[in-house]
Amino acid sequence: MPDTRRNVLKFIGGAAAGAMFTPAPWRLITDTALWSENWPGVPRPLRGEISARYTNCSICPAGCAVRARCVGGQPVSLAGVAGHPLSRGGLCAFGVAGHQLPYCPGRLTEGLVEAAAGAIARAAANCNPDAAGTPAAVCYPAERVAVLDLRPGRTASWTYRRAMGAVKGGLYLTAGGPFSGAAVDLAKARTVLSLGAPVLDGWGTPGNVLAERAHFRLIQAEAIESRTASLADQWLRIRPGSAPALASGIAGALKKAPVADMAEATGLTEQQINDVAAELTQHGPALVLPGDDCLEAWAINEQVGGFGVTVVARTEPPVPEAWTKGCAPVTPLASVADGSIRTLIIDESASGDYIPWGGIRRKLVADNPVVIAFTSSPAGYARHSLFVLPTAVYPETLEDIPGAIDSPRAAFRMAVPLVAAPAGVVNSSEFVAKAVGLDAATALRERADAIRKAARGVLITYADGRSRPTAQVAPDDFWKALNEGACWIDTEAQRAAPPAADWTGPGARPAASPRLPLVAVLTESATAATAPASPLMTKLDRESNLRLGLRRAALHPETARSCGARDGGRAELETSLGKCRIEVVVDASVPRGILQVAASPDVIDICGAGARCRVLPL
Amino acid sequence: MISEKKPGKICRYGMAIDIDKCTGCGACMIACAVENNVPPGNPGATDLTGITWLRVFKVDNGEEYPRKESVYFPMMCQQCGMETPCYLVCPQQAVDVDPATGIVFQMPERCLGCRYCMAACPYHSRYFNWWDPKWPAGMEKTLNPDVAPRMRGVVEKCNYCHGRWHAARQRAAEAGLKDIIPGDYVPACVEACPAGAIQFGDLNDPASAPAKAAGDPESFRLLVSLGTEPKVYYHSKKEWARRIGDPSRAPAPKEPSRG
Repeated sequence: MPDTRRNVLKFIGGAAAGAMFTPAPWRLITDTALWSENWPGVPRPLRGEISARYTNCSICPAGCAVRARCVGGQPVSLAGVAGHPLSRGGLCAFGVAGHQLPYCPGRLTEGLVEAAAGAIARAAANCNPDAAGTPAAVCYPAERVAVLDLRPGRTASWTYRRAMGAVKGGLYLTAGGPFSGAAVDLAKARTVLSLGAPVLDGWGTPGNVLAERAHFRLIQAEAIESRTASLADQWLRIRPGSAPALASGIAGALKKAPVADMAEATGLTEQQINDVAAELTQHGPALVLPGDDCLEAWAINEQVGGFGVTVVARTEPPVPEAWTKGCAPVTPLASVADGSIRTLIIDESASGDYIPWGGIRRKLVADNPVVIAFTSSPAGYARHSLFVLPTAVYPETLEDIPGAIDSPRAAFRMAVPLVAAPAGVVNSSEFVAKAVGLDAATALRERADAIRKAARGVLITYADGRSRPTAQVAPDDFWKALNEGACWIDTEAQRAAPPAADWTGPGARPAASPRLPLVAVLTESATAATAPASPLMTKLDRESNLRLGLRRAALHPETARSCGARDGGRAELETSLGKCRIEVVVDASVPRGILQVAASPDVIDICGAGARCRVLPL
Repeated sequence: MISEKKPGKICRYGMAIDIDKCTGCGACMIACAVENNVPPGNPGATDLTGITWLRVFKVDNGEEYPRKESVYFPMMCQQCGMETPCYLVCPQQAVDVDPATGIVFQMPERCLGCRYCMAACPYHSRYFNWWDPKWPAGMEKTLNPDVAPRMRGVVEKCNYCHGRWHAARQRAAEAGLKDIIPGDYVPACVEACPAGAIQFGDLNDPASAPAKAAGDPESFRLLVSLGTEPKVYYHSKKEWARRIGDPSRAPAPKEPSRG
């Protein structure tokens, strides 16, 4: 072949084309993939010494024991502590990803801290005109300062009570309800009737409930096929909002009274109501759990002899004696006169049951009330507050967790910081205490010392699984153990029955309205909605449809068609209290005429139990 | 190509899942994502394009109330023991079967993203990275150092937390042992399940839960008629639920429902 430029080019071209028929370039593609695997867009995990640390989860009141796997001190995964007497080794989906909460994109980290401190101090001074050093202030007896605690029973709760006790007319408020002072003993129950309580879906301490599940028969009365309803031994499909009517029907059946009216109200037969009543008496001990605190459930527990057996008084760990002197009493929000609170401090840092804003707003003075919210989320009461103060989230903060509802014995455990809190966040109880001139920086230590001094119960340390009588642990060791992952559990106390509540009869069913043809049924816990949740929760809703995501509502296909809504479409949910935007999900398992909607603060604000509503496609 | 045999005990890891115990809480799904550095869903991700190595489905018997019954059904890679479809179709040898454990695993750095394996998998247990893996600022610190995050354009799937297996082998080696200390290696979903519904073990060990499940008449496997010999055994006392394993006998859903 002549050595010309054309031939050289032909050779190069032919070689390139021929190479495509050899494995070489295709292997190069693999290598290219290998290089791109390490491109800067893919994050590199931390390296460091691997260790285990122990704490207790404070996301919800269950307070499950947690073992954190840490790399260089940074927690990278969480797991339950096997053999723990309260949480029984379990963690829920929120708890498993709890170490990611500090990095939640929607989390609040800034607020008007100085202005809020001034507002609290001014409000306290206005109610204490005689206090030394305060300016000439005017006290309005009917306009009070109050703290609303969504998770009572903590050491922080005692700090609030002490702080409000130091303010003339200061109020310490809780959500209240008959079950707020009660605990239940699932280990003693053989039949459990749930009036809409999500027993198998995060209620109580999930690990404990599931460990006891084999020992009791579960009857779930609910309008929709919730997770608990689908797994219960018996599901009673009742009309939305008719749980109080069912409870009063059962209470009547236990007294051999006619139940025809209640059968009509609930959509069940008289025979079904009588059968449930018979089962509660014949297969005892029985336990009746209300979904939304309803006094009727309380009455049935009393009738079937559950008081002192399956329902007992909730006891608190010992507190320093000095705290109990002059502290504000626990006052249920409902018992406060309307329009009487000028300054309301809401502690949403420890999430609990979200109280619809309408119920709180009524208690505030009409003109310019001051609402201060301690929260880490903009989604809850922050929407209604004048001042929003950011707080630390689990696992950044040191706090104690009161006993869960299914813990009949008093317990004391602490969530200890595994990572540092960002600058700018405040400790809510210390902040309030400081604003009224109280020092509460060492409250947890004082509480731990009081528990140790009482010298009863046992201390369980997680790292070694040891259980020691409290009396045998030195005070400093007791405090050290609590900070390294431990739990104090009281000895079996006297099984005192909680105080009886007045029974006021069945609640009213929502009236049918042609304008609002659907009934809204809230589903799943709002815990995740009022506090930051791990971004990984998309796995449970958007990426798998296992749960309804926030602001999503499910309709039966026929109901959706009648509303003109389509699957995945945007719509407006309207009730008599307001409107909010939702995304429609078409789901054949939802009964016709019902809108199953994920509970979030904005939805709870406009929907009560069984609220009438309509869906307007956008 | 099957990898060369490694020294030590030959295991055949499998799972036994009691679907009567599963409450569908999703703790296993989250634990799996945390352990394996699966990123949060992209804003555009749906149930078809999201990545859930382990997914819990809700299945019912097709009846109306009051005869309606439902179960929650955790589904992950079934770790086919024979004629592994994804392994057979991969043009890049990005799928391999570990002869020491029987675990089918994916090598994302070899993967071209052709998705033949996704088409071949009869269990729909493989997921494609449609987007760059992204975590909110700061959350990279919570990533598991034993598992490399995957890039956009590759397929991934459950590998029984292979990183944990390596860590357990390392611990055994440090202790001067040839084989893994019994109970030292369990996948994240098994550890996380608060109901104790998922159990893990060596099918070659007759005392293990999966081996016992293999001989239980109330246990079943999915699509066993395909001859893929899946190593995940499901257990239910409900006859209709056991029929899920055989689609020709399973009730057809009347209308779509969530979960």
